[in-house]
Amino acid sequence: MLANSEATMTLPEGVALHARPAALFVRTAMRFRSKIIVAANGREADAKSILSVLGLGATAGTTLLVRADGEDAAAALDALAASLAGVVE
Amino acid sequence: MAVGIVLVSHSPQLAAGLQLLAGQMAGPDVHIEPAGGGPDGGLGTSEALVREAMAQADQGEGVLLLCDLGSSILTVREILGGNGNGHFRLVDAPFVEGAVAAAVVASSGASLEEVARAAEEARDARKL
Repeated sequence: MLANSEATMTLPEGVALHARPAALFVRTAMRFRSKIIVAANGREADAKSILSVLGLGATAGTTLLVRADGEDAAAALDALAASLAGVVE
Repeated sequence: MAVGIVLVSHSPQLAAGLQLLAGQMAGPDVHIEPAGGGPDGGLGTSEALVREAMAQADQGEGVLLLCDLGSSILTVREILGGNGNGHFRLVDAPFVEGAVAAAVVASSGASLEEVARAAEEARDARKL
């Protein structure tokens, strides 16, 4: 069964989507089979590509729109939201 | 076990700094080894250092080698007898972006082929 889910996630204070938090986000996305797109600042990135995600330039407080497409879409979105919440710089 | 990565640079500091950066993003499972500088510790490349780094990076899943410029590429090609042999592979990729992309993909347990592709695709990633 193919599912299509999307969620918005706001980057917590002190967490920009660069370096370590971005890597954590991407490494989380890679655990899932779904195709995952993350949009911010009017741009879209492949959530499984570190350079693509870094290119979003998403700073703390930015709201990300994350779209997952595939059988594990819902679980992927939950895990991604948790990965952002768990980052402490 | 993850694919290992060797960073061959003319500068020991450049290789070590990139090891730190890519390592922080990939986490502890990916073995990233620097091979920077010449035999005297100055700018240059050293076949012995590259061979040592290749051995240390090898966890059994293959090793990807990235080079900065010119003679570092020649040194690796001399060791490999070309661009690779299926277990050790030299990749044509930007040094910094390629290493970061390869390291993060390697951390997922991806194959040498997939890790090499991630490094090559770094060429097309826009920074701005």
